[in-house]
Amino acid sequence: MSRPIPLQFRIRRVAVLGAGVMGAQIAAHCANANVSVVLFDLAAKEGDPDGIVRRALDGLKKLEPAPLATADRLALIDIANYDRDLARLGECDLVIEAIAERMDWKHGLYAKVAPHLRPDAIFASNTSGLSINALADGCPDSLRSRFCGVHFFNPPRYMSLVELIPSRATDAALLDALETFLTTTLGKSVVRALDTPNFVANRVGVFSMLAAMHHTERLGLGFDEVDALTGPAIGRPKSATYRTSDVVGLDTLLHVVKTMTDHLPADPWHRYYTAPAWLSALVGRGALGQKTKAGVYRKDGRQIKVLDLATQDYRDAAGAVAEEVQVILAERDPQMKLAALRASAHPQAQFLWSVFRDVFHYVAVHLGDIAHCARDVDFAMRWGFGWQAGPFETWQAAGWQQVSGWLREDIAAGRTMSEAPLPAWVFERHAAHEAAGSWSASAATLLPRASLPAHARQLFPELVLGEMPRATHTIWEGDEVRLWTLDDADGARAPVLSFKSRMSAIGPKVLEGVREAIARAERDFDALVIWQPQGPFSVGANLKQIRPVLEAGDFKALDGVINDFQQASQAIKHAQVPVVAAVQNMALGGGCEFVMHSPRAVVALESYIGLVEAGVGLIPAGGGCKEFALRAARAAEASATKDPMNFLQSVFQTIAMANVSKSARHAQELGLLKSDDVVVMHAHELLHVARRNAIAMADSAWRPALQASNIMVAGRSGIATLEMMLVNMREGGLISAHDYRVARAAAVALCGGEIETGSRVSEQWLLEVERAEFVALLRTPETQARIAHMMDTGKPLRN
Amino acid sequence: MTRQIQDAYIVAAKRTAVARKNGAFRHVRPDDMLAHVLRGTVDAVPAFDLNDIGDVVVGCAMPEAEQGMNVARIGVLLAGFPVSVPGITVNRFCASGLNAVADAAMKIMTGQCDIAIGAGTESMTVMPTMMGNKVTVNPRAFESDEHVAIAYGMGLTAEKVVQQYKVSREDQDAFALASHHKALAAIAAGRFRDEVLPYTVRSHLPDLASNTVRLTERVFDTDEGPRADSSAEALAKLRPAFSARGSVTAGNSSQMSDGAAAVLLMSEAAMQRTGAVPIARFRSFAVAGVPPEIMGIGPVEAIPKALKLAGLAQDDIDWIELNEAFAAQALAVMRTLGLDPAKVNPIGGAIALGHPLGATGAIRTATVIAAMQRGEARTGMVTMCIGTGMGAAGIFEKM
Repeated sequence: MSRPIPLQFRIRRVAVLGAGVMGAQIAAHCANANVSVVLFDLAAKEGDPDGIVRRALDGLKKLEPAPLATADRLALIDIANYDRDLARLGECDLVIEAIAERMDWKHGLYAKVAPHLRPDAIFASNTSGLSINALADGCPDSLRSRFCGVHFFNPPRYMSLVELIPSRATDAALLDALETFLTTTLGKSVVRALDTPNFVANRVGVFSMLAAMHHTERLGLGFDEVDALTGPAIGRPKSATYRTSDVVGLDTLLHVVKTMTDHLPADPWHRYYTAPAWLSALVGRGALGQKTKAGVYRKDGRQIKVLDLATQDYRDAAGAVAEEVQVILAERDPQMKLAALRASAHPQAQFLWSVFRDVFHYVAVHLGDIAHCARDVDFAMRWGFGWQAGPFETWQAAGWQQVSGWLREDIAAGRTMSEAPLPAWVFERHAAHEAAGSWSASAATLLPRASLPAHARQLFPELVLGEMPRATHTIWEGDEVRLWTLDDADGARAPVLSFKSRMSAIGPKVLEGVREAIARAERDFDALVIWQPQGPFSVGANLKQIRPVLEAGDFKALDGVINDFQQASQAIKHAQVPVVAAVQNMALGGGCEFVMHSPRAVVALESYIGLVEAGVGLIPAGGGCKEFALRAARAAEASATKDPMNFLQSVFQTIAMANVSKSARHAQELGLLKSDDVVVMHAHELLHVARRNAIAMADSAWRPALQASNIMVAGRSGIATLEMMLVNMREGGLISAHDYRVARAAAVALCGGEIETGSRVSEQWLLEVERAEFVALLRTPETQARIAHMMDTGKPLRN
Repeated sequence: MTRQIQDAYIVAAKRTAVARKNGAFRHVRPDDMLAHVLRGTVDAVPAFDLNDIGDVVVGCAMPEAEQGMNVARIGVLLAGFPVSVPGITVNRFCASGLNAVADAAMKIMTGQCDIAIGAGTESMTVMPTMMGNKVTVNPRAFESDEHVAIAYGMGLTAEKVVQQYKVSREDQDAFALASHHKALAAIAAGRFRDEVLPYTVRSHLPDLASNTVRLTERVFDTDEGPRADSSAEALAKLRPAFSARGSVTAGNSSQMSDGAAAVLLMSEAAMQRTGAVPIARFRSFAVAGVPPEIMGIGPVEAIPKALKLAGLAQDDIDWIELNEAFAAQALAVMRTLGLDPAKVNPIGGAIALGHPLGATGAIRTATVIAAMQRGEARTGMVTMCIGTGMGAAGIFEKM
């Protein structure tokens, strides 16, 4: 079998040169991925020679969103400076340069580090604007074939795009190895880009912003109004256009625009590659956006103010989408939607049509020189700018030929920003994406997807319009679950259970389905994977289905439902075949309990896991409290003091405060995941890794957990110890009387009931205790009010 | 009842400088601190036969783990005292150190011995929580409202004092700031110099670069707590630490600290035999109980009792070391009893100087004794509130 990364490119250790915002965060993400990493910067002239790197690492702790998956990852980043530690570069297989965007500085650094690099090391620059070929010219001959561009997006932990840019001399096998590392090990999504100014995502994204700025002024719209239009309303991030520029930094934006001004003199849109006067003025007076607390927007206390072009002063931000335009945007058919925007005379609609049109025009004209194919442009915009759909697929969805005709009309009528004619292929084709591949203007053909071994690990990769997902085969389908498999070798042994409910919420039909699926897996297969093709793993109990029973006051029926929940969890835990939970996004409440009961969980790094029942006035009763009591007892038996309380205090807080993990590794720290659960960096590899794990367990002497007995519990003394904390919080006005009651119920369940400390009980006893506490809470009007409020408003009620 | 047959005199009182939790004494064990002050105190008087020490009473508020195992006896042995010298650890929470001095005095006053030491040691660094190694409370505390305050944290009781005695946030912060100012001025003027025994902290640290053990040495002789950068604005910005809408903050509460002190007491006969010179006479000691939920008010009950035992009036006292567990309770005590603010903590209190729980009583006794040696005090008192609702006060008179 071929190795995913050839041995000569095995990446054991990474060096990052430059502890700026990007360098430090790239190093942090290596630490998130358990990759050995050393971060370099200049030796400080005064004081601690490592001061620069240390300050950068300190800064990582405060940065939001958090670059580190857990706080203790910071200690995994080794600290180095160029004066003392250049020899340590010899330990590194991948060296990423991330210093300031100055060709002369970069070349100076390359000359300094080159003698210390391993002869087989990969050397890459995280430049966003400089030419990779020009940078490569600064490398010694021996290094040139091992040099390329690797462009991360900020913040690198969260933005999935990395553009990989070869120079003329870059070794192709090296690129494949690096893409494999970036994809599987760091969990990023790679687009291979050409060495053109600003590469793909920034080239198109910045043009899109410039187009928005142009039409904002032309149509006399407010910046806040444009942000209301160009955010979630059209499938783009909440920060939309101007808020994004504030976050990026207006000076940075100017810098990126300048790269286009300087390096694209013949571009038909060149006259737009310039900052509007208001933008230069803001930068001129030091209003650079978020980092200087003023830019297009400014926060005055609680009020957000926005720059008004007419008055050149800030006013209260209030921009909203006009009702007439809202109606158009609510249209589900993309053809009708774009047609309606074009037809409407409303300035907001005209704005959106104009920006869409000019971006379509731009990417059509430039496809041949900036990207290998249309798929790369669309993915770059999805992964680098958070667009739900890239420009080509948006165009295609709205009717390729129809929109092409409109474009031609607007170009002819001089309404477009440039008069550049559309390339001929636009009219010769009916789509940019087809099942066979995506259009490459430079090759004048459809380009199929690349096929590295790493790509095969993504069983259901992100698709562009026109691509078909892999065929699946349904084994059994219930009302709210589907048991299915893939027609491959692993599929014959390990089927997949998915929930069909909205957000994979768990109601009685899911509980029934879980047990049926396990029974079938035990009968016909070797293992079972629980995975959701889209959305969260599960947001927990389906309150909608429970509410009528609760309102009818049928507590006996509710007790039955909870019992079913517990039995489903137990079925997962004690199944005769290994059940592997493949988790991404949210696993909350009952979803978290299913994960806790799985013999193994395979979890994407970006997973937000928690027992959030306290928010609705309840405690975990799908076996969650039982599992923690059991784990505490096991840990206590192995400890010197034999005291389960040592292992319950922090868990109690996690439950009482309804804490949700900020990453899979954080969930391990909170005890919501086991230490041997597997963290997967790329969410699209989840199903592959889960199936491999499940089959490996089945093949390697795995046995299901036995029903536990002889479980030592903390009992009455333990409850009192936790209650002491609650009394202080209640008396201090930090929690309400009902919070107290809910948290005390959790304490009782975690401590095994109001029995003598050190008593020994069974798993079933613990389940009965947590269920009794749960039902008692359900009977309280305060909990009922919390549930109703959560369902009606989506927000927790503090009562 | 045993009657007093002789007086007890203080011939030496020494303390360590007080370190912040995880500060200078981070790697120093409480039994080592204790041994250091025991040895330093006997070395401060003319040499005598240590076999004559009748008992060493040591106060400690959390006598467990590193300061468990009857830390008094361990300290005695580590100090190099003869094996004949006994040791007992006493616990009355924050009054432990004062109680130890009183117990030592009473052994002399009742004729059980004519030389004794009262001491205190506490490392809050070694305690995983304020409440010791294993936090546990009797479930009966929650069965009725009557006992629920057993479970109250000290900060919460300070908030209860704030409510009952109407102490404003501004007054608390001003009191806290004054404590820092007084302490800093006293340090600058060298007023703590005589009572503090410098401690050479030796640490064995791993030098990972050279794979060797690096031995560091640092002489610690100045209290770490006082903050020159404290200001009314900075204090006003702090958020309530114990209650959502409260006024007790980290800034107007005592600091968590490490430290130790020892007080050497002798009878008149012993002084004549050894040549030791009396600095002060032990006059009285009293403890009293108050409701646990307002434990900070304890001195209000203990002070009159101690005055009565000593046959003194409040005005006779010219130097009062009132432990600043919280500015709120200190102010409530002062206002309720009408204590003269000029006499209370003239050179700072626990908000600035730190509060190593069970050691504090012995430490502040050393402060009063030093003030007497400087001629700044004639009749001094050490008093404090005590968790679960008590107060203690001890009175000393300059010779």
